[in-house]
Amino acid sequence: MLDATLLNWVLFLPLVGMLLLIVVPATQPGSVRQLTLWVMLLQLALSAWLYVRFDPALATLQFETRLPWIATWGVYYHIGLDGYNLLLVVLTAFLGPIVVAGSFTAITKDVKLFYAMVFLVQFAMMGTFVAQDLFVFYVFWETMLIPMFLLIGIWGGERRIYATIKFVLYTAFGSILMLAAVIYLVMSAKGAGGAASFAFTDLVKANIPLSAQMFMLIAFGLSFAIKVPMVPLHTWLPDAHVEAPTTGSVILAGVMLKMGTYGFMKLGFPLFPDATHVLTPLIMTLAVVSIVYGACLALVQDDIKKIIAYSSISHLGYVMLGLVSLDLIGIQGAVIQMVSHGLTAAGLFLMIGMIYERCHTRDLAAYGGLAKLLPVYSVAFMVLTLASIGLPTTSGFTGEFLVLLGAFTAAWPQHLRGDSYPLVLAVLSVSGVVLGALYMLRFALRFLFGASRAPHQPLVDLDLREKLILGEILVAVFALGLFPDEPMRKTELAARQYQQLVTTSRSNVRPPVAPPSADAAAAPLPSAETNSAMPPSADVASAPTKDKQ
Amino acid sequence: MNWGTVLVGMLPEHLLLVGIVVLIVNDIARDKPSGASALSLVFVGAAALAATWLAFGGFVAAVFPGQLSITPGSSLAKAVVLALALPVLLLCRDDFEDSGPLYPLLLSSLYGIVLMFSSDSFLTLFLGLEMMSLPVYVMVLLALRRPQSAEAALKYLVLGGAATATLLMGVSLLYGLTGSLSMVSFARALASHDAMAVAGAAMVLLAFFLKAAIVPFHTWAPDAYEGASVPVTAYMAAIVKAGAVLAALRMFGQTALSGPMIDLLALLPLLSIVWGNLTAMRQGNLRRMMAYSSIGHAGYLFLAFLGNGPGRYGAVLFYLIAYGLLTLLAFAVIPRHADDARRDQLDHLKGLFHRQPFAAIALGLAMLSLAGIPPLPGFVAKFLIFREVMAAGYTTLAVLGLLGSYLGIYFYLRVIQFMFMSPQAATTAGEAPPRGAALTASMLCLVPTLLLAVFPGRVLGLF
Repeated sequence: MLDATLLNWVLFLPLVGMLLLIVVPATQPGSVRQLTLWVMLLQLALSAWLYVRFDPALATLQFETRLPWIATWGVYYHIGLDGYNLLLVVLTAFLGPIVVAGSFTAITKDVKLFYAMVFLVQFAMMGTFVAQDLFVFYVFWETMLIPMFLLIGIWGGERRIYATIKFVLYTAFGSILMLAAVIYLVMSAKGAGGAASFAFTDLVKANIPLSAQMFMLIAFGLSFAIKVPMVPLHTWLPDAHVEAPTTGSVILAGVMLKMGTYGFMKLGFPLFPDATHVLTPLIMTLAVVSIVYGACLALVQDDIKKIIAYSSISHLGYVMLGLVSLDLIGIQGAVIQMVSHGLTAAGLFLMIGMIYERCHTRDLAAYGGLAKLLPVYSVAFMVLTLASIGLPTTSGFTGEFLVLLGAFTAAWPQHLRGDSYPLVLAVLSVSGVVLGALYMLRFALRFLFGASRAPHQPLVDLDLREKLILGEILVAVFALGLFPDEPMRKTELAARQYQQLVTTSRSNVRPPVAPPSADAAAAPLPSAETNSAMPPSADVASAPTKDKQ
Repeated sequence: MNWGTVLVGMLPEHLLLVGIVVLIVNDIARDKPSGASALSLVFVGAAALAATWLAFGGFVAAVFPGQLSITPGSSLAKAVVLALALPVLLLCRDDFEDSGPLYPLLLSSLYGIVLMFSSDSFLTLFLGLEMMSLPVYVMVLLALRRPQSAEAALKYLVLGGAATATLLMGVSLLYGLTGSLSMVSFARALASHDAMAVAGAAMVLLAFFLKAAIVPFHTWAPDAYEGASVPVTAYMAAIVKAGAVLAALRMFGQTALSGPMIDLLALLPLLSIVWGNLTAMRQGNLRRMMAYSSIGHAGYLFLAFLGNGPGRYGAVLFYLIAYGLLTLLAFAVIPRHADDARRDQLDHLKGLFHRQPFAAIALGLAMLSLAGIPPLPGFVAKFLIFREVMAAGYTTLAVLGLLGSYLGIYFYLRVIQFMFMSPQAATTAGEAPPRGAALTASMLCLVPTLLLAVFPGRVLGLF
C-alpha cells in the first residue's frame, strides 16, 4: 500500500513543504531553514527507498499512479518510475538537502520566499522526471520557469535582471514551439489510435509521416537543446550561471540541464525515430561541437563560475553523443554521465559559492595557493576537479569512457562501409577529454597552487556543515565510479527499450496490407524493418528513402 | 405565448430588471441614499444563481419564438458573466460612493449582455448590444477625476457608434438578401460565397471586432481603459469583452466557415495578438498595458472561432472564465493610491513585494497566468484555443499564434520583475493595501483561479 503512493509522496513533499512554510513566521529564518532541510531529507530518504525497491527485471512502470485529470481530453495524472528516470529522481532528491544546506549562510534576504521557490523548483523538476503523460510533463516542464526566474532575479548578482530575462526568454521560446508540437502530436496520434491520449506509451506507438516527424522533432528538439544546452543555443547558460546565486547554479547544473537530455531520451528521439535517423549526423555534429567548443571556451575564462558553466556544455555534449550513438554501451554511458555531471558540477559550484562567501570575488586572478590557506577545501576541490576530468575510480570516468566506447563501437561498422563521418566525430570528441584535463588543471593550478594570495584574509577553512555537504557529494562520486554496476543494471532495460524504439521506423502511414516481414521481403528497396535488425545507426541513409516513397 | 415560461426562463433578466428599479427608487426616495452596493450585489448574485439553476436544470424554451430562446448553453454563459460581475461590484465600493448612477447603469449593461446571449434575431441582438454599450460610455465618464476621462468616453462613444452603424449596415444587407432578421441568415451567409452575403456577414463580424477591440479597431481601448476608473476598466476588460465574444459565438452557432470569412478571422486576430503584445511591452502605465494585453487576448479568443463544432463553445467559455478571473484579480489587488494617475504607473509597483506581499503575489499569479505559463489556468485556456485551431486544420496559424503569445511573456514578467526584484519605488506615500471589499473581490477571483488550475477537468466537463 505504501509502495503504491510512495512516488506521490516523493513528488508532492516539496509542495507540502511550501505550504508549511506559510505558517512559519518570516521573522524566524532559522526555523524556515530547518523546516526546509528536514522536508528535503525526508524526500531523499523516501526516494532512496524507491531506488532500493525498484525492480530492474520489470520492463513496465513501477510505483505507478494514474488518475483522470482532464477526462474530456484524455489527460491523466500519470506518474511512474522506470529505468529512464530512476537515477534522475534519486539525483534530484539527493541534491535537494545539499542545495538547502549549502545556502544557509549565503541567503539572508527574503529567506522564506527563497525556500518556497527552492521547494517549487524541486517539485517541478521531480514532476518533469516522473511524468508519464505528455500534458503533465509539459506543465511541470514550464512550471520550473517561474521559481528559476525569481531565484536568479532576486538573489542573483549585479546583472541578474538581464540574466534571468534572457534565461526565461530562451527557454520559453523553446517551450512555445514544443507546445505547438505537443498539440499537433496528440492530434495526429489520435488519428491512428481512436481516442486522444497524452500517454507516452500510446504516443510512441503512433505512426506519423516523416515530414511531420521532422517538424515535431525540431520543435521538441529546440526546446530540449536550449535546456541542455547545445551549441549554438547555449548563450543563456554562462549568464544565468554567473548571475545566479550558488543555489541557482547548483540546481541549474545539477538537475535542470539534465531535463534537456532526459527530454531527448524519453521523448524527442523515441517519439520521432525516422526524423532522428535523418537528423542524426546534425545532432552528432552539434554534440561534438558542444564538447570541443565548450571546452575551448572554458579554457580561456577568468571568471571561475564561467569555467564550470562552459565545462557543463562540454560534459553534456557527451550525453548527447552517447544518446545518438544508439549503441547500448553509449546509451548507458550517457545515463551515467548525466548523474555524474550532476554530482561534480553541483559540487564545484557549491565550492565556488563557499569561496565566494569568503572572498567576494569570482576573478581567477585574485586567487592563488589556496592549498596552503585552505587545506581541507583544496583537497575536496582537487578531488572534484579530477572527477570532472574523468579520472578512473570517479564517476566522471565511467560516464565519459562508456560514451566514447559506444560512439566508436557504433562508428566503426559505418566506417567499414565507407561512411567515415561518425568516426571522425568520435575521434574529435576524444579531444574533449584532453581539453577537459587542460582547463580544469589550469583552473586548479592557478587556484590552489603557486604563491598564496586571496582577498579578505585570513580565511577560515570549511566548517562542519560545509564538510558534510561536500563529503556527501564525494562519497556519491566515488560510489558511482567504483560500483557503476548496480545503477547500470537498473537502467539497462530502459536503455534497451530506448535503442529499440529509436531504431524502429514508424513513418508508415498506410495500413499494412501484408505482415511487415513479407512486405519487406517483397520490397525492392531495403525497408525499415530489415534495417532495425542491422547495427542500429547503419540505416541513417536508407530508412528515409523508404519513407519518401 | 406562455407567460409561465417567460417568467421562469428569463428569471436572470427579471431579477436584474427588479434590481435596476429598486436601485433607482432607493436613490430617489431616500434622503441620504446608501446601500446601493449591497443591493446590486444581492440582485446580481441572485440572477447568477438563477442562471446557474436554469443551465444545470437543462431548461430549454423559445420564450419569444424567433426572437429570444433559452438554452442551457446560453444560461451557462449568463451565469459566468453575472458571476464575474460580482467582484467588479465589490471593487466599485472603493472608487464610488454607495449610491448614485453607477450601480443601475452597471446592472443595465449586464441586462444588455444577458439579453444578447438569448437572442435569436438581429433585432434582439442589437437591442442587447446597445443596452450593453450605452451605460458603459457613461460609466467611463463617471470617473471625472481627470480631464482624460471625458476624452476617453467621447472616443469610446464615437467608435462605439461606428460599430453600431457597421452592424446595422451588415444586418440590412443580410435582410435584403434573405428577407429575414433571424440570426440563422448570418450562419448561412458564413457558409456562402455570394458577395452580398459575405459583405453582410463581414460587416456584422467587424462590428464585434470593434466591440472586442481587435486590431485595427482597437484604438479606443487603451484610452478608454486609462481614462476610466479602475472598477470600470475591470468591467470593460473582463465583462464587456466576454459579452461581445459570447454574443458573437451565439451568432456563429456551430457553422463551419468558408472562404473570405476564414481570412478575416485568421488574419485580424493574429495581427491583434502580435500587435497587442508588442505594444504592451512599451507601456509604462498599468491600465494601458492591460488594454493592449486584452487586445492580444481578444485575438486568441477569435482564433478559436475557426474551429467548428462543440469544442468552440467550451474553449471560448473556459478562456473567458480564466481571462476574466485573472484580469479582475489584477485590478483588485493593485495598491490603492489617493492620486489615480500615480496609482497607474508601473514604476510604482517597484518593490511591492516588500510592502504588500499578498498583493504582489496575487498580481504576480495573475500576470503569469495571463502569460499562459502553466500550471495556472491561463495555460489550459491557451492550450484549448490552439487545440481548436489545430483541430480545424490551421496548423501554421496556430504556430504563428503561439509565437505571438511568446511575445507577450516579456511584459507580463516585467511586472513581476518590478514587484520582486527592483528596489523600492521612490515615493510610496499615499499608498494603501487593498481593503475589505477589494480584498473580498480578490479572494473571489483567487480561489476559483486556483481551483481552476488544479481541477480544470471538472470545469471542462460541465460544458
